[in-house]
Amino acid sequence: MNDAGAATHDLAVQAQGLTKRYGDVLAVDGLDLELPAGQFFGLLGPNGSGKTTTIHMLSTLVRPSSGTALVAGHDVVRDPVAVRGSIGLVFQESALDRTLSVAQNLRFAGLLYDLAPATIEERSGELLELFGLNDKRDRAVGALSGGMRRALDIVRGVIHRPRILFLDEPTIGLDLPNRRAIWRFIERLRASTGMTVLLTTHYLEEADGCDQVAFIKSGKIVQRGTPAALVDALGKHIIEIEAEALDALVASLEARLGPALCDGDVAMFRHPHEDASGLAVLQGELAGRVAALRVRRPNLNDVFLWVNAPR
Amino acid sequence: MGQCAALIRLLTRAIEMILRPIYAVIEREVVKMFRQRTRLISAMVRPLIWLFVIGAGLGAVMARTGQTDYQQFLAPGVLGMTILFGAMLAALTMVYDKESGVMRMLIIAPVAHRWIVVAKTLAAALAGLIQAALLLMVLGALGFLSWRMNYPLLLGAILVTSLSCAALGILVAAFTRTLDNFAAIMNFVIFPVFFLSGALYPIANLPLALKTAAMLNPFTYCVDLLKHAMLEPLASGPASDLRPGLDLLATSGFTLLAVIAASWRFSREEVYAPLIRVLTGKRD
Repeated sequence: MNDAGAATHDLAVQAQGLTKRYGDVLAVDGLDLELPAGQFFGLLGPNGSGKTTTIHMLSTLVRPSSGTALVAGHDVVRDPVAVRGSIGLVFQESALDRTLSVAQNLRFAGLLYDLAPATIEERSGELLELFGLNDKRDRAVGALSGGMRRALDIVRGVIHRPRILFLDEPTIGLDLPNRRAIWRFIERLRASTGMTVLLTTHYLEEADGCDQVAFIKSGKIVQRGTPAALVDALGKHIIEIEAEALDALVASLEARLGPALCDGDVAMFRHPHEDASGLAVLQGELAGRVAALRVRRPNLNDVFLWVNAPR
Repeated sequence: MGQCAALIRLLTRAIEMILRPIYAVIEREVVKMFRQRTRLISAMVRPLIWLFVIGAGLGAVMARTGQTDYQQFLAPGVLGMTILFGAMLAALTMVYDKESGVMRMLIIAPVAHRWIVVAKTLAAALAGLIQAALLLMVLGALGFLSWRMNYPLLLGAILVTSLSCAALGILVAAFTRTLDNFAAIMNFVIFPVFFLSGALYPIANLPLALKTAAMLNPFTYCVDLLKHAMLEPLASGPASDLRPGLDLLATSGFTLLAVIAASWRFSREEVYAPLIRVLTGKRD
């Protein structure tokens, strides 16, 4: 579209001090974000942390209270139409017209992006093939399963070959097979187009495949890095202790094991060393006082829990 | 010179980029209109009921007092009513789009949001236009239409009426969040606009309060224009109340203002920020 812009901007997204205030509430608080083109980026955080507002500001649907953002080289405030032309956006809820057929929906979406009908036909064919929907062209969208509708919503979001695709909880509300299918589609799409993808998700295991993730809390990015590095920085092992009189036990162990994270009747400690042999001693000491003691590898879920732990 | 040509190229390209999205909205409206057959059939039956039931009933009363053909008088009003309902209901689908989520596709399209309002207005006007054409065919087939009409003016009047009614519908839609208010819209907008318009009776003899209301009603001027086109060539009985020039000025002025007001309202963030939160199903 804008070739000069593409050449000079290797950053797909460049945000500085991006802030959104709703009355007294700071939904997004001075967010800085740089996304290299082609990256698969996960923005992770609990409900209300500002993920969706961030996506809305980057996609020009919400005006930042302050700060700037360039998306595909275009300023979100000064040139929202150009930004919208270079991005694809898939919402948590369907944007499709249930009364129209699959092909009619894609035609509508394509025309909105100023694509020629022949181009829409051609790309619909390719994308529906890629997403395993090629036999559903003339089916009414209302008659599709939830998983197929979500897949079609993504097809709808990329029919104009955006440089950046925003996926806001693309798998929310889907069962496991459908979630896996959606991820296969996104992988295929990335492989065939190389587009930048910015994702938010609740299912953190899904973010494992991201090139980079950022954890957002109360509108601020609190941790950022590759999933492997973040997990690694957390610790080499997680020690989980399950017991009835947990509080007293935790208090007695924190001096030795560092701060604990309690979740119901399970307490978790981080163990920074690869060598876990010392834990056998602990196991012996605690025998009889705990219901279970487990040592396992940390994952992104743990990073999420520690990031959002009440301090 | 070169700069000028470049500017023209840029402008042409900008217009082209708007045209296809506008066409998309119009195409969808037409596809949906012909799919919803009951909506189309009832749009044809409603005016016929007015014409043959109300028209015949009141016509009988008036004939006793020596008045002329009431059914004939009613024809432009009923045509206007068909356009009013057709265009207004089509424009109000914008509210349905907000609720169902199709608005998501529209607000992320690479066009300024005011063009969504313009596109919806044009689509609704086309819906009114098509229904007017269908009704004329039905009336013609039933042998009810006098063929002595001012056709160019009729075409113009139908066009202007369709646009005005669509603009009114868009204005209402821009200020309406859910279709729960539909009954209220029917009661407080569509019916008063229809009854206080001269569609059913000449406004000249109305009491002052009602006459004032009628003169403030843009639909009055639409109906008057339709009367000019359909009744004047017959030169019999009560015809129009106003001059066609005034009608044109009032209707086109209203259309322009209504569309500007609606697009202003639609582009304001405090209006569409909650909308976006509803559309994306999240408050964070």
